[in-house]
Amino acid sequence: MVRINSKVYVLFVPISVFILLFPLMVKSPVYLDIFIMFCLLAGLGGAWNIIGGYGGQFSIGHAGFFGIGAYTSTLLYMHYALSPWIGMLIGGGLSAVISVLVFYPFFRLRGVFFTMASLAFAEIMLILSVYWTSVTKGNVGLLILFKPSLGHMMFAEKMSYAYLALFYMALVVGVSVLVKRAKLGSHLHGIREDEDAAESLGVQSARCKSYAMMISSFLAAVGGTVYAQYVQFIDPETLFDVSISVRFALLPIIGGMGTVVGPVIGSAILTPLDTMLRSWLGGAYSGLGFVTYGAVLIVGVLALPEGVMRWVKDNIYPSIESLPDFVWGVRKEKVVHAKKFIVPAAQGSGKSDEALIEIEGATKVYGGLKALDNVSVTVNRGEIVGLIGPNGAGKTTLFNVISGSQKLDGGKITFKKQDITKLTPPHKVCMEGIGRTFQVVKPFPHITVFDNVLVGAWLRMGSAVLAHRTVREILHFVGLEKHQEHFASNLTLADRKRLELARALATAPDLLLLDEVMAGLNPAEIEEIIGIVRRISSEMNVTLFIIEHVMRAVMGLSQRIVVLDYGKLIAEGKPEEIAKDESVIKAYLGEEYLYHAAGSET
Amino acid sequence: MLASVLQVVYNGVLLGGIYALISMGLTLIFGVMNVVNFAHGEFLMISMYMAFWLYHFFGIHPYVSLVLIMPAMFIIGLITQKGLIQRLIEAGHFAQIFATVGLGMVLQNGALFLWTADFRGVYTEIGAHSLNVGGGRLSTSRVLALIAAILVMVGLLVFLKKTRIGLAMRAISQNGRAAWLMGINVNQVYMIAFGIGSLCVGVAGAMLIPVYSVFPTVGSYFVLIAFVVVVLGGMGDIVGAFVSGIIIGLIETVGGYVMAPRLGVLCVFVLFVVILLFMPSGIRVKSRTDS
Repeated sequence: MVRINSKVYVLFVPISVFILLFPLMVKSPVYLDIFIMFCLLAGLGGAWNIIGGYGGQFSIGHAGFFGIGAYTSTLLYMHYALSPWIGMLIGGGLSAVISVLVFYPFFRLRGVFFTMASLAFAEIMLILSVYWTSVTKGNVGLLILFKPSLGHMMFAEKMSYAYLALFYMALVVGVSVLVKRAKLGSHLHGIREDEDAAESLGVQSARCKSYAMMISSFLAAVGGTVYAQYVQFIDPETLFDVSISVRFALLPIIGGMGTVVGPVIGSAILTPLDTMLRSWLGGAYSGLGFVTYGAVLIVGVLALPEGVMRWVKDNIYPSIESLPDFVWGVRKEKVVHAKKFIVPAAQGSGKSDEALIEIEGATKVYGGLKALDNVSVTVNRGEIVGLIGPNGAGKTTLFNVISGSQKLDGGKITFKKQDITKLTPPHKVCMEGIGRTFQVVKPFPHITVFDNVLVGAWLRMGSAVLAHRTVREILHFVGLEKHQEHFASNLTLADRKRLELARALATAPDLLLLDEVMAGLNPAEIEEIIGIVRRISSEMNVTLFIIEHVMRAVMGLSQRIVVLDYGKLIAEGKPEEIAKDESVIKAYLGEEYLYHAAGSET
Repeated sequence: MLASVLQVVYNGVLLGGIYALISMGLTLIFGVMNVVNFAHGEFLMISMYMAFWLYHFFGIHPYVSLVLIMPAMFIIGLITQKGLIQRLIEAGHFAQIFATVGLGMVLQNGALFLWTADFRGVYTEIGAHSLNVGGGRLSTSRVLALIAAILVMVGLLVFLKKTRIGLAMRAISQNGRAAWLMGINVNQVYMIAFGIGSLCVGVAGAMLIPVYSVFPTVGSYFVLIAFVVVVLGGMGDIVGAFVSGIIIGLIETVGGYVMAPRLGVLCVFVLFVVILLFMPSGIRVKSRTDS
């Protein structure tokens, strides 16, 4: 994900040094207080960012975890004199467990359901903490007796708190970097951009979201402990209120969702603003302060939906990159032009000419319509088989049932001698070695071409080094290496089709299902794609099953062609046989052309 | 024993009527526009304040103030749609969620600033009145809220079935782009849908003020219930919202009766999880196809 090939990282050094020395330089308690809240909120925003920004699961219930952390460590400290350092870990762990128990069910659902559930979660925590008075003392709140010492995580001077908060922020930033660079981060990006496409590349979306949620809730709970030890007073309202959750989300939204430093930037802008408002408004703050937060949220979403960081990347980064190479530590990446690909080597190659996939009597019914009616097809290892038929013939449905995004109503699918009929979440089918592209291309638009392919590459590659190497090789293979740092949304249609190919290839499939990869392209582009498809077959030893309407391509490429019409298999054979087949001509062109064709032949 | 069971059922159905009434506007807006208005609870809060202040300053009975609150909320809905939601229709869930959350925060804290956190209620004759039916007591004002929920439901159904704009709304909910190509002014219909959705919550506000006090955060509780109701009823399904409103009301009341009053709400949220898991399309799933 993050590759150290940029001079921009040099920019972070003075900023980090400045932040590190700030508590030593500043003696004013007011500024130190702002600094502490800046660090604390940046960390909490960063915790939210891991599930919200990276994974695109928009929680407005993170105050729930924040509160769990604060209550757990405080109660353990008050009743059992347990050091908050340990209480912090227990609270974090508890929070992570609760997050999975509560949210795992919701991860199967998408979008706004998750947000509704998260809101309900925080609200339940609020209700519980208010009414469970025997433990929480309800709205009266809990007062922590001030006993300064390192073990009690309480300090007489603010400077120590400043470093405690800074430590917390650094922890969150560090975890964010690790997650982003790891497989998890890459997969979360895929899920955020397009969950179906990510699943087809072998991403286990529910599991990824759970891991991210655990990390995120752990960090939020740790923040809760730090907060409690700083203010030494907690009550339900200041921990669990919805506005607290919104505040956590607001920082990354303003700073740049899904970026490591976004929450820090957001906090650097909003926390001082918040303190200023507080002193200007005085008693009126309780209402107007949050009015301002709400207004900032609306304006931010409308005017700067991708945050300050996007603007910085677009406007500041280029000028830094154009500076002369005086900076050390800048590593240029070499493009590897390997003849031998590491990708197919990951998959055992069996004997050619044996059946790779056998579909027997596949039937799929939509209401009264039989989209697939007792279809039997076999594709042998190493073959290129074309699948043609008029619109609505059931071609894409056949691909969907193979790849596991739809269930068969009857029949059997055997892949590599294993029954995969019931194998449904697409990521499992992908794991077995079936890759696919989509008729309507589904690139991950807001991440780079490189990162798009990386989502697929993690499936077989255990380390970042191997995964990155695979991506570079495949990008070179399909001719996209020039565009590797561009956003997928900026590609032409032809390049987006190449990207789909590259992404699917990165999962090292035995069988690749291509759904109209040439549709909408001009003749020159079609020629290029034909070339790539041939090389996928010859150089990578991938078996291909191709839906295609471009007859020249499908006739030229395929060794065998299968024809579907109204869900039924109407013909199968060599391309030249199919071209003459009466039932095929009838299905494609209508009755009258049949006479026409017959007439011209005699 | 039997009498108290009857009373619990009465209370549950009447509470359900209130939940159904609150949820009507939310489900209509979702059905037509595919937008979840996270500020829906604050719209309820605003209309309750309207009813309160109209009573407080001008002595207008809450039920009479309906004729003022309904058009006022309709206009607030139009403005919200025109000024905010319109810009977010294409922007996806992220922007819709956080912009409406932001709007909710502005309204809630604006109310806190202007009117403080005090609980404010309206004392009416009808609020204290109750009917005796078969040995159980029915709070008259809650019965009226239930009747209002039925009227709003029927009104919406007739509107959607019989009027041109209603037909346009149904068309848009199926396929907005196709409806646009058929010559429907989609943005205008969205405005009207949002206006009517807000109008419905305005009805709820006026009907509720004899029953509940109003305070700035009153909406955040009710909106969660409304989410559960709308999801259980099937997002966008008006009859479904009514039926599930009653179900939720019964579950909360029975749960509260069997365990402790406050735990009734927890039963509802547990149900929410179960619904989302096992029937995310709601109880009336047969009438809709999701593909």
